[in-house]
Amino acid sequence: MLPPVAVSPLIKTARYSALIAGIIYGKKRYDYLKPIAAEERRIEEEEKKIQEEQARIAKILAEANEDTILK
Amino acid sequence: MAQAVQKLVSKVPGMINATVAYSKPRLATFWYYARVELVPPSPAEIPKAIQEATNLVKGLQAGRLGQTTVREAVRNGLVATEVLMWFYIGECIGKGGIVGYDV
Repeated sequence: MLPPVAVSPLIKTARYSALIAGIIYGKKRYDYLKPIAAEERRIEEEEKKIQEEQARIAKILAEANEDTILK
Repeated sequence: MAQAVQKLVSKVPGMINATVAYSKPRLATFWYYARVELVPPSPAEIPKAIQEATNLVKGLQAGRLGQTTVREAVRNGLVATEVLMWFYIGECIGKGGIVGYDV
């Protein structure tokens, strides 16, 4: 087994500051994206409700309009 | 069916022992290297790091860039890539997930 290498202090500081910077960046971006996603979900829910309503109305109209003597 | 499950469950302690016996020496090797190589910089080393960084910048300005061998350049590139990957690992820790943001 080779003896462990003495890592230069520059590389050590760079590694750990990159780690901490990454944690901070990840947290900040997550906090930024979370309300945006909640808003999008809310808008999608509302639009889906409207679509369902229209589909229901269209179905009723279609049923009322089909005229056939086979009923 | 129940017998098969019982047999499986009775093998679990044996499997755990086998896992521990397998990983102990490898963990020891890991700690042997990590205690020297992966340890965070002590406060005394930070001014040395800043000094090394300024030396690097001065050397760059003095035109030593043309004198680096390809081997040195590749090694420096690999080290820089490793430092960059630590940033991404930090980002994964910060966002609480490996792939994508779980919003």
